[in-house]
Amino acid sequence: MKFTEEDLRRITMIAINELGEKASPELVKKVVAKTVEGYGIERPVSNGNDKSSGRVILTAYGLNKPGIIASLTKALGEAQCDIQDLSQKIMSDFFTVIMVIDISGSNKELRELQDVMNRISDEMKIKIFMQHEDVFRFMHRI
Amino acid sequence: MPYEFDEILETIRMTEVEHFDIRTVTLGISLRDCSDRNVNTAKQRVYDKILKYGRNHVKYAKEIEARYGISIANKRVSITPVSIPFDGFGVDELIQIGETLDKAADEIGIDYIAGYSALVQKGMTVGEANLIKSIPYALANTKHLCSSVNIGSTKAGINMDAVNLMAEAIKLTAEATKERDSIGCAKLVVFANAVEDNPFVAGAFHGVSEPEVVLNVGISGPGVVLDAIREAGSVDLQQLSEVIKKTIFKITRAGELIGKKVADKHGVPYGIVDISLAPTPAEGDSIADILKAMGVEDVGAPGTTAALAMLNDPVKKAGLMASASVGGMSGAFIPVSEDMGMIRAVEAGNLSLEKLEAMTAVCSVGLDMIAIPGDTPASTIAGIIADEAAIGIINDKTTAVRVIPAYGKKVGEYVDYGGLLGKAPIMNVRNISSSNFVGRGGKIPAPMRSLTN
Repeated sequence: MKFTEEDLRRITMIAINELGEKASPELVKKVVAKTVEGYGIERPVSNGNDKSSGRVILTAYGLNKPGIIASLTKALGEAQCDIQDLSQKIMSDFFTVIMVIDISGSNKELRELQDVMNRISDEMKIKIFMQHEDVFRFMHRI
Repeated sequence: MPYEFDEILETIRMTEVEHFDIRTVTLGISLRDCSDRNVNTAKQRVYDKILKYGRNHVKYAKEIEARYGISIANKRVSITPVSIPFDGFGVDELIQIGETLDKAADEIGIDYIAGYSALVQKGMTVGEANLIKSIPYALANTKHLCSSVNIGSTKAGINMDAVNLMAEAIKLTAEATKERDSIGCAKLVVFANAVEDNPFVAGAFHGVSEPEVVLNVGISGPGVVLDAIREAGSVDLQQLSEVIKKTIFKITRAGELIGKKVADKHGVPYGIVDISLAPTPAEGDSIADILKAMGVEDVGAPGTTAALAMLNDPVKKAGLMASASVGGMSGAFIPVSEDMGMIRAVEAGNLSLEKLEAMTAVCSVGLDMIAIPGDTPASTIAGIIADEAAIGIINDKTTAVRVIPAYGKKVGEYVDYGGLLGKAPIMNVRNISSSNFVGRGGKIPAPMRSLTN
């Protein structure tokens, strides 16, 4: 069972009445805490136990020019990201890079990494997307 | 590489180019424990409860959005039909509850809160009748509040007394919000066979059989389907159906993932995913364009209903396979004002109200976001609602009417709301009368289909 705020208020009122003259804020707090101990634990909600990997997929594309891979890998290296796979294609003047990166050991959150990539994206005039691997797994693997 | 090059590019294309987005994550909150004889206490309870569960709704959704690179267009809240916990209140008090809901929505930063509703398919309590009377004022006094009333079901038939009351309520709402092109009517839906877990506003509410709190997801993506159909080229209809099915399967999977993750963040149960192709006023995000890509010259041409049926069906089939819990409407929406292609078809004189009505027999909702002349009599609106409800109860499907009798406007003029609600050309309504029929009142009995036991 779980306690609503109203339940707690009611329990507190009972405690105060029972304690009568002795009721001090500290004592009431202690008594109430002891009474509800162990009852208020909510069962965690489970929405299926899909194991989520610590990997993200980085996709970059744009007009080809020297230094793109270098700037990407340099930033990822500095953030302690482990590049597990990398593939690249050039079609006419356009390049596309796809990387599978493990960020579980990184000193940066995905959000921060995305900010770093946004900066590179502006500097190099290319598009960079960084998305959690789960979305690809869900869409393309049953 | 664990994924094919093409698979990765396909996902990027869907999310970045083709406007695939999670249309809404809707947090359903039960208000059944908020009733109180004193309206001020009730208001406080409602406000506290919505803030308790909804406080971080927008923040959590944004975090998930960044993590998966899939945009979540809207964050919303649905609540227990207001007439249920507050059945004892009069019109004024109900309006105050509506205003409190609006304030709470404002506080947690969502655009719509839906569930100013009543379920009266079989009959009305005093409180429910009061709620219907209060709708025009509640909608006029608020910004975020959405209202819906269920007036018929396959099991109960059609409550014509409620239909007549709703027709009046629609007219009054149009007048009460005449300063803003009768916008109140865009937030008022009349349902038959309403679903309890629909995440899509304006018709969302948190059904009575739902848990304390639940997270439902609505996904969309007409743009993705449109491009897939265009890419498929001149294949036969069976193959075209397969193309649609495969595309929907993938976007439903993504929706399921996002829904679960947002629910996990909240620590609340994940409810359903509703995969409904819902257009937006953005170019390319149009159901009309899909129907045209399938081969009809314009929406309204003979064959349109068949094409729409063919679009609606694989959406359901793929959804069922892709998710453990499909719910809500799950199909195609055909609102006029929110779909540039539909607007053009109406302007060109190709699409009439009657054709739209026929189309609603095979798609997931009904006459949606249709502007009609402001002087349309309430009895005619009641007739329109009754027609739609009849389609719903006989075919055992949800149908809805969201019409806007634009106050003071005539055919040829427009209502324009901007944003997601878009703009609608005022459509012609036949001016032959239904008043002697709807005026009889009472109930249309439940159809044969109701006796399935």
